[in-house]
Amino acid sequence: MRKVAVVGIGHTRFGNLSDYNLVDVMAMASLDAMEDAGITEERTLIDQLFVANMGGGIINHQTGIASALVSRIAMEPTPAELIENGPASGASAVKLGYMAVKSGMADLVMVTGGELMRAVTGWKGTDFVATLLHPDVEYRYGLTLPAFGGMFTRLYMERYGLTERDLALVAVKDHANGAKNPFAHVQNECTMEGIYDGPNAEVVNNYVAEPLRLYSMCPVSDGAASLLLCATDSPLYERFKKRAGIVISGIGSATDTHCVHNRKDPLDLEAVRISAERAYQNACLTASDISFAELHDAFVILEIAISEEIGLFRKGEAKNAIAEGATKVTGSMPINTSGGLKAKGHPVGATGVSQVYELVKQLRQEAEEGRQVADPVHGIAVNFGGFGNNVVTTICSKEFA
Amino acid sequence: MINIDFSAYEETRPKVEGVVCPTCGKLHYPAPMICDRCNTRRDPSGARYSRWETTELEGNCTLLTWTRVHALPDGFDIPFLQFGIVEFSNGLRASGLLKSENPEIGMQLTAIADVVRETGNKKEWGLVFVT
Repeated sequence: MRKVAVVGIGHTRFGNLSDYNLVDVMAMASLDAMEDAGITEERTLIDQLFVANMGGGIINHQTGIASALVSRIAMEPTPAELIENGPASGASAVKLGYMAVKSGMADLVMVTGGELMRAVTGWKGTDFVATLLHPDVEYRYGLTLPAFGGMFTRLYMERYGLTERDLALVAVKDHANGAKNPFAHVQNECTMEGIYDGPNAEVVNNYVAEPLRLYSMCPVSDGAASLLLCATDSPLYERFKKRAGIVISGIGSATDTHCVHNRKDPLDLEAVRISAERAYQNACLTASDISFAELHDAFVILEIAISEEIGLFRKGEAKNAIAEGATKVTGSMPINTSGGLKAKGHPVGATGVSQVYELVKQLRQEAEEGRQVADPVHGIAVNFGGFGNNVVTTICSKEFA
Repeated sequence: MINIDFSAYEETRPKVEGVVCPTCGKLHYPAPMICDRCNTRRDPSGARYSRWETTELEGNCTLLTWTRVHALPDGFDIPFLQFGIVEFSNGLRASGLLKSENPEIGMQLTAIADVVRETGNKKEWGLVFVT
């Protein structure tokens, strides 16, 4: 069967872009991906656009975003559709792009994800994301995604002996990576002294959703990322040879109960596990083949829990790996070399696309100094929607691995 | 004489309800449109399928996990709120507001129905877990 290569990648700075327009920001990333692929002048060769965005209709008061983007980058009459799948919208768009190419319906597909969340206040932004919860039995109480993150963390601590110190170690590692990523929202390092050990840590790193603190949470970000996917057996692939060589080797997704309370075990992230199993199966790989990972650490606990669910570490053992430095760029299983959602930021519709961007960047060995993994072959990304009720796992590999 | 039904405007007692599958008796919260155990369909209007009985959720429960949230969404002008997930003795689970000074995983609580959110004149009911 035909393989799907990533032949172009584009990314805007993540952060506060609220002075700009959502579609302009998406267009910037899209055109960067085309430029990377060397196809800007011939962009109408692209068969299809898949656009990921979660909240344009609510926070930017704009709908029909895919159509607007096509027009903004002068690509009519190219077909374009919008994918809204909560915070997993980005990876869902990648998945649909992959399916379109794999099926033979398209040879060259553009996938762009973007979000402009800072157009509204933090309270309104939190409320917007919370609308993905069950309206009657969750949202109405004032429950939010950080609240579920907090409850998940507390139970995890109780069962596996995780401590707040372990959470702080993840933040320090993510910030160290983010500081070297020019696209990251937060580009300063943080220290254990500053956020955990020091006399002012309690103030600097205050509780947000106990036991999660400020430095356990991703920032609210704006930004966009874009990918160009091409079938390796297409005549078009020849023109991308210079920048090609990285393929999406497997992709899988899964869903779970809408209400968190209806799960047999509140700590069981079944959709994460099943989506990863499907991606591994699709790629004919196992967890032991993976060189590095980009995991959806909207809350640092999720980096820990997801790394265990997808088989990188045994249940309850990720904390030891973190303490030993295994998840650092130089460790045996680097995680979130981009800075992760924690430092790079989390523009919800862009995140899943941005994670795959990072996989490609690493596999091309083009990451900035200090955050390039040594000789990576296979990278895995997990994009976590809802509180784990819709999860997409993507594996990228060197084409001739 | 004009008969106007004012009952819709009267204050009624807060309650939170689950539903019971009429075929297999499984208790659901919130109400699904199909029973995940026996595939019996539910029709909220009662026109096509037989009605599912409702049952009030209240009484003794165990705290599974909890959090205290200091950054609340738009519409909550208070410094923090506590939330919990509980399990009732019949195995049913629910999320709700937690009112306890010193919450601990595993503690016994009582679930009551009360107003959990007020928007303008509209009062929304939900579960509150108290010691």
